[in-house]
Amino acid sequence: MASYQESEHFAEDFREALEDLQVNNRYDIQNLTMIARENTEHALAIAQTLQNHIKRVASHKKLPSLYVLDSIIKNVGTPYTLFFGKRLFETYMDAYASVDMPTRRKMDEMLKTWKEPIPGSIDTRPVFPPDVTRPIENALIKARTSAMAAQQQHYRNEQQLLGRGRPMPQQPPVPYRNTPTPPNVRPSSQASGYPGNHSNGAGPFGPPPQAPSQYHQHQNINMPTRPTPQPSASMPAFQPPYPGGYGMPQPGISVDALNNDIQQLIAASKAEFARSPHDPSIQTRLKALLDLQSILQTQNLPQDQLVLIKNRIAELAVTIRATPAQTPYTCTYSTSRSSSSSPFSSSGSAEGFHRFSIGFRCSGCSAGKKFCHTTSIYTSAPPATMAIRSPPPQRVELPKPAAPAPSDALSLMEMLRKAGMIPPPSTGPSSGSTPAPNHMPPMPSLPFPLPRPVVSGPPTVENMTSDITFTASSLKQFRPHLVPLLFESLGTQCTQCGRRFKNDAEGKKKKTAHMDWHFKVNQRIAEADKAGQNRGWLVDEHDWVGTRETIDVIGGVPTAQAAATQGGSVAKLPKMQYIPVPDDPVLLNSVCPICQEKFKQVYLDEEWVWEDALEVGDRIYHASCHREATGGSSTVAAVKYGGGGRATPEPVLGKRKAEVSLYHPSFLYMSPPKRTHTSLLFNSRSTDHVFLKQDDLTSLRAGKLKMEV
Amino acid sequence: MSIPGLGYIAPAPPPGSAAAAAALVETTTIKLEPFWEYRFEVPASTTLTVRLVSGTAEKDGTELAPNTPYVFTRLKSKINTWQTCELEITSPNPDGYHAYVSKPTTPDQTSLVSYLNLHMKLEAARTQHRSSGENNISAAGMGPRVLVCGPVNTGKTTLVRMLTAWGQPMVINTDPTHGMLSPPGTLSASVFATIMDITTEWGGTPSSGPTAIPVKLPLSYMYGLRTPEENPKLYRALVSRLAAATTSRLAEDPEVRKSGMVLDTGDLSLTTNPAGYEALAHVVSEFSVNLVVALGSERITADLTRRFAGQKTTLGEEIVVMGLEKSGGAVERDASFMQGVTEAAIKEYFFGDVRRNLSPHTQSVPFDAVTIWKVVEDSTTASSDDDYYDPAASETSLEKVEPSLAMASCLLAVVYANVHDDPDTIRDANVMGYVWVAGVDEAKRKLKLTAPVPTRLGDRPMVFGNYPEPVIGLTG
Repeated sequence: MASYQESEHFAEDFREALEDLQVNNRYDIQNLTMIARENTEHALAIAQTLQNHIKRVASHKKLPSLYVLDSIIKNVGTPYTLFFGKRLFETYMDAYASVDMPTRRKMDEMLKTWKEPIPGSIDTRPVFPPDVTRPIENALIKARTSAMAAQQQHYRNEQQLLGRGRPMPQQPPVPYRNTPTPPNVRPSSQASGYPGNHSNGAGPFGPPPQAPSQYHQHQNINMPTRPTPQPSASMPAFQPPYPGGYGMPQPGISVDALNNDIQQLIAASKAEFARSPHDPSIQTRLKALLDLQSILQTQNLPQDQLVLIKNRIAELAVTIRATPAQTPYTCTYSTSRSSSSSPFSSSGSAEGFHRFSIGFRCSGCSAGKKFCHTTSIYTSAPPATMAIRSPPPQRVELPKPAAPAPSDALSLMEMLRKAGMIPPPSTGPSSGSTPAPNHMPPMPSLPFPLPRPVVSGPPTVENMTSDITFTASSLKQFRPHLVPLLFESLGTQCTQCGRRFKNDAEGKKKKTAHMDWHFKVNQRIAEADKAGQNRGWLVDEHDWVGTRETIDVIGGVPTAQAAATQGGSVAKLPKMQYIPVPDDPVLLNSVCPICQEKFKQVYLDEEWVWEDALEVGDRIYHASCHREATGGSSTVAAVKYGGGGRATPEPVLGKRKAEVSLYHPSFLYMSPPKRTHTSLLFNSRSTDHVFLKQDDLTSLRAGKLKMEV
Repeated sequence: MSIPGLGYIAPAPPPGSAAAAAALVETTTIKLEPFWEYRFEVPASTTLTVRLVSGTAEKDGTELAPNTPYVFTRLKSKINTWQTCELEITSPNPDGYHAYVSKPTTPDQTSLVSYLNLHMKLEAARTQHRSSGENNISAAGMGPRVLVCGPVNTGKTTLVRMLTAWGQPMVINTDPTHGMLSPPGTLSASVFATIMDITTEWGGTPSSGPTAIPVKLPLSYMYGLRTPEENPKLYRALVSRLAAATTSRLAEDPEVRKSGMVLDTGDLSLTTNPAGYEALAHVVSEFSVNLVVALGSERITADLTRRFAGQKTTLGEEIVVMGLEKSGGAVERDASFMQGVTEAAIKEYFFGDVRRNLSPHTQSVPFDAVTIWKVVEDSTTASSDDDYYDPAASETSLEKVEPSLAMASCLLAVVYANVHDDPDTIRDANVMGYVWVAGVDEAKRKLKLTAPVPTRLGDRPMVFGNYPEPVIGLTG
């Protein structure tokens, strides 16, 4: 197929296109997918280019590139599945090692979708064969396990070093489930304001049964598979500690469990503190935790406050813990605004709690804002978006300011390295981009992108051409993503004329009409070959301004005005009068005794006839001439030449006939709606396209006639 | 420039007998990589049939339908692809045509890329209704008005056709040398909202019968001379008239308004006549052109940039001038070739082509029954500094003439006016159709006229000029 050199050129172009992909932009990703789809002959080159690109780019650009891979796999499939599959482990793990936590979560979700069939596809096979995805999964699990062990070991060591350690709760490492993204991570990370997680609901993560649980409606309405208790209500918002999973709501939050957790967090914080004793944020956090612990131990807090504390802890756990899977809570976030704010005003522990909040957040955000943020995050994530095949665009990871809790990313790196899966790293990007969840500014509005249709429309031309300027160099630059706008974006092609029709419902409708049009036109062409054709007169200026091009319409789509005009005139138009062409050669050359003109011969209903002819006695007249001469009551002139739908009432005037013929360009008929009428007029039958007029021409014509008279 | 095998071929079988020669037909298949062009020059003496076997291919922006034979004759054109394609080429006379494949290896070696970018930019302007910015080429829902100019044989009309096929705008031909949907010697406008006939330059004038390609309805005005310089006043008057009509259409037709206009212009040679410049400036101002594309001449680009610098259209947009390279495939079409094209166009008007036989009607009319006006050459009245043309103050550009042998074989335009109207009204009237003077009998004072439809001809004034040149033997 394609020569090597060409593939190389192509790969170069593709690489350049990839370079432009800075953020997770659905349009760009779709375009790149489209390019890949259209150039499967270069599939190997594309696959290599993309994988090299993923490996090479800075960590914050890895996810968009991975999404390109994901999109190509899911939308194009073979042969890309094959080419990507070969190096998928390397590509994935390499990227995983160098990205920050939210991105990892995205990657986890993506990996999860790879193990399943493409949503909406009839193919039940997973996106990637299990033998491709399993090694990745195993590696991740291994990494987490060893990280966990290392971490716990680390805590103990730290505690001993500090010499003031409380006894570590005997909590063995939690066994790992086979899901790379532990479900309990999601709510806590959302609560902590990870930007990357805001679109979780719309992401590719999790098919049922977990899927519905991702959507915590603000009002906690009908979440069948997952309890979403109202903290302020009698049903406490508490999930049993992991591995309790997604059970029924528990009767209450256990203070002991909370204490345990805080204990763990304190231990972790201490460890951190020991590592970087000069980091004030850790100090603050540690202090807050200790305060919280004393509050918990000394006071009997109401359930709703426990919920909040638990939430905070869960958030904190995400921050501190290397692997979110370790968080011992499956936190349910269903905090309503009222409940979330109440502790601050009513509780005696408010102060301590407040401090805890501030300390925890390490930022200037006020607690109120923080909680508003927390609650508003959950407001919308329609499950409908689950159908999206490729991960939808997510908000760009903003570069975070000073990262107060780098331990998560670092420790995972460490684990991965320990597990022997990655080479000694360049830690720059990963530590630099370590998330600081609480630095995210409060979201003023819904953080979720609105659900988009699964099959998207074409990207706006405006966006895609914004970089073009009217300079020679800019215009000369080839933009491969524009080419599909001429072809695939326009839909499928009509096999007869090459016109393209969109693939949506409207486009299909149009195409059907178009094919009907072809069929009828072809039929008419065959018919018309039997009869004579001729060039028509053009319309005058005024009519031309009034014409509207109608597409694929036979007989026209009458505008209101035109329809009214037509209806009126058709009703008044007498039936066309005609007689068979006489056999008598003398008669054949006869002319109308009134106007001295010959008769117009047309082929009608399988015989040649004289149009507008009337035999009176042994003489043949033009029916219209005769009618006028005899003072026929009708003011309507039967049109002598090919009178079609244009026949409008006209005054009887001496020059009428010539006028009529001049004003009736044969192509201009608006085919009358009545078939009976149409079938009488061969010319109008052949009207394959119709220029509709909005103006009633009668007045115009009348004006001109007046001038002549 | 003489092209081997073009126009110098001994009489070859006419296109009609192609079927008879089908047995001898040689078929070749060529594969085009992205950006490649299959360039061909087919004389009138033979035909070239192209069929798209696979992939996608375009001729001047119009996509070829798959597996559909397209028959070309008397045409110098190209078929290009953006995505690779395979074409099957058939000709009854393999030596009778000239063709080759242009194989650019990188996108920047083809001018098509700039044309595509230009189109996409226009498309963006069409979709954006109101916006601000330096390259703002939309105003209040009005699509862009693009004028393509440049020296002769730089592919101006080809570019206009591409932009038309891609964007479906209104097309205005201000170049009387070539006709658009109308014989040469006219200025015309038409909306191209539907697919174009790629086997001809623009397609034909509407006829009574059904056609597989939707017919475009032109509005045309008789200029009757070859270049704007031959009667600048008349040219300017007609341009203004055409602009008024098209602007009205734009005002009333939202679809067309959104698509905007593309204007084709004639040869712009700066050195020989500054009047061409003046004519161009007049077109730009009358049609509120906001993007001037100068093709194939950096000198013209620079001059026009200077000229239009700081100027605004009537809609308040800045007039942008941009230069584009001409396509390497643009070829010279010599006088004899163009004469052949003109004759073929006129013949096609009355008789149709291989796909469609038309039956014109020839009748004999007395001299007294017809009113004929002739366009006079009047280059002396050209005043380049006269920016404001006042039709009311001008002398007429038409003179009434008696039928004479001199007008034998000429093409007369029947216009929408009254025989008793004053010359200026007749001059400004648009064309209803054309008749061909089949014979003049001065002794009997009778005129034989071939008209497209059988009708009485005496009620409308007829206008003719020195161009198009008489076509001998149209009916013979």
